[in-house]
Amino acid sequence: MSVYITSTGRFLPGPAIPVEDVEKVLGAVHGKPSSLRVQIQKANKIQTRHYAIDENQQTTHSNTEMATKAAEECLDRAFVGREKVGMLAVASTQGDMPAPGMASMVQAELDLPEIEILTTHGICSSSIMALKAAWNSMRLEEHDATLVVSSELASRLLKKQRYEAATTSTFAAKRIDFSTEFLRWMLSDGAGALLLQNKPAPKGLSLRIDWIRGFSHAHALPTCMSVGSAGRPEDTRTWQDYDTYAEAEQDGALLLRQDVRLLDNLMRMGVDGYLRLVEEGVSKPSDVDHFLCHYSSHHFRNKILEMLNKAGAAIPEEKWWTNLYTRGNTGCASLFIMLDEFLRTDELTVNEGDRVLCFVPESGRFNTTYLHFTVVSQ
Amino acid sequence: MNNGEIAIEGGSNTPAEEGVPEDIVLNEHAQVCLQHLLRVWLGFERDLSKVPLLRRIDLGTYTADDHQVFLRNIRQQVIEGSRWITRTASSFDRDHAEIRSTIISHAVDEHRDYEMLEKDYVASGGELDDILSMERNIGSEALHGFLMHQSSQPNPIDLLGAMWIIEGLGEKMATSWSERIQELTGLGEDSTRFMAYHGHNDSEHMERFYATLDNVCVNDDAVKRIVKTAKVVARLYRLQLEEMEHDLK
Repeated sequence: MSVYITSTGRFLPGPAIPVEDVEKVLGAVHGKPSSLRVQIQKANKIQTRHYAIDENQQTTHSNTEMATKAAEECLDRAFVGREKVGMLAVASTQGDMPAPGMASMVQAELDLPEIEILTTHGICSSSIMALKAAWNSMRLEEHDATLVVSSELASRLLKKQRYEAATTSTFAAKRIDFSTEFLRWMLSDGAGALLLQNKPAPKGLSLRIDWIRGFSHAHALPTCMSVGSAGRPEDTRTWQDYDTYAEAEQDGALLLRQDVRLLDNLMRMGVDGYLRLVEEGVSKPSDVDHFLCHYSSHHFRNKILEMLNKAGAAIPEEKWWTNLYTRGNTGCASLFIMLDEFLRTDELTVNEGDRVLCFVPESGRFNTTYLHFTVVSQ
Repeated sequence: MNNGEIAIEGGSNTPAEEGVPEDIVLNEHAQVCLQHLLRVWLGFERDLSKVPLLRRIDLGTYTADDHQVFLRNIRQQVIEGSRWITRTASSFDRDHAEIRSTIISHAVDEHRDYEMLEKDYVASGGELDDILSMERNIGSEALHGFLMHQSSQPNPIDLLGAMWIIEGLGEKMATSWSERIQELTGLGEDSTRFMAYHGHNDSEHMERFYATLDNVCVNDDAVKRIVKTAKVVARLYRLQLEEMEHDLK
């Protein structure tokens, strides 16, 4: 049975924050401006982004609220009543509460009675896991409509107080601790939502889901992006192994980390996965009309382009489209926020029959996911 | 301290990423072959991350002792390398004179690389006698046996697949490992000269590689043979690296 994305919605909290104001929002650690900010921002080329915290680092929107607002927008735009929604799948790197699952909280806010729920946990690819599960439940004909929401509130992890409290951490010990600071200048907040139905929307464009595939390489590669350990190879403790949460925080076990040395592996595995799909005959580079690629930094775009070129499987640059530079890197919400704008923007022409390839890599422990849609109208 | 520059500014390219020079346009079969070879390489590279000794480079726990184990185990293969390469050259008939010359000059470049490796070993704190008396490990036996067998076949074009893997690793050692090893172990540049030099030399080798691939990979059968040999060599090379810590003294 064919399944279609018939409506989309998004929520980006607060005003668009330009690069030079980012540190005003996240706060300068111990009052000292970061020596890495400019360099990292220059490489990622993100111009504006949104935060769900204010300049005093107080939360303005919870993760659940952002997810709910994106879902509301999506449902308001749909040609079907919300009572038709049989399942709600919600993805986030970190919900407001460690338990219960975030889908429960979002369901309550949306006031959707007696539906099936799913919370997926991971980083950037968690939204693809949620989408795939929702798509599969539709294919099993269990529901006529499902709602998939992805939302990220990274800024709470990145505010200055987190770093100031980590007094015995690698961040405090080193003059520059790239692994803990890197993501500070990369990630921001936002939410996106997709409505899936078993028929295209009666008006406008829908996206038929053709396939969704994923290849995870956690069996081979060390953890690259994480929260929960102090980032010292000899120390195997995770945050709950400390006597108190305060000690875990002090030791930097609650800081968001990225082992930047390992990041190149993500590009390589991403290209490998795509070449695998080409080899299997699932995808043909020349058939792609639009390529929506989630990358965290402009730097990685060039790497992917280069490698695909060299393999003779290039997707011409004019077919690439992203809103990373204006909406920021919102982790698992990025692709949904991208799809929402893709269907509305005047920047490009999207026609019935166009084939859309999406790629969402997750550096956490190297999960690479690929999606393919066809643009349809009823 | 250039920790982040690796990721932000890039610069660490393996041959797989460096790719075909602009003046070489590969024929259709060679292009397909290269696509397959790239996947074999990426899989090989990923699987190397599982080899305990190499994983310690990723995790930051690699020691000077590890480095000695590495050099002690790799030396035999470097010595034998020039043997199978020269044998490969002699197995090409007169219709393949061009390839034969390319391979001979390649062998000349590398046939004494192991002496550099021995000096690195001493600079890393090892005893010269220990590395000189080191025999082939189990994986080196298998790899060497396979390469000598293949190189004895008439016109062994499939060995391009072997070169792809071995040259790729040389480049990886130079770009990803040599500096990192110095940083982790506190050893000086003189302990990783083999790695660093080998990689530098290999980018010229890659240019010759693409030209040769275009020349000989002209049908489906050639694609199949080259890719299969690349897979076997990747697997046996990994075996050699996995066996490093089962040091036969």
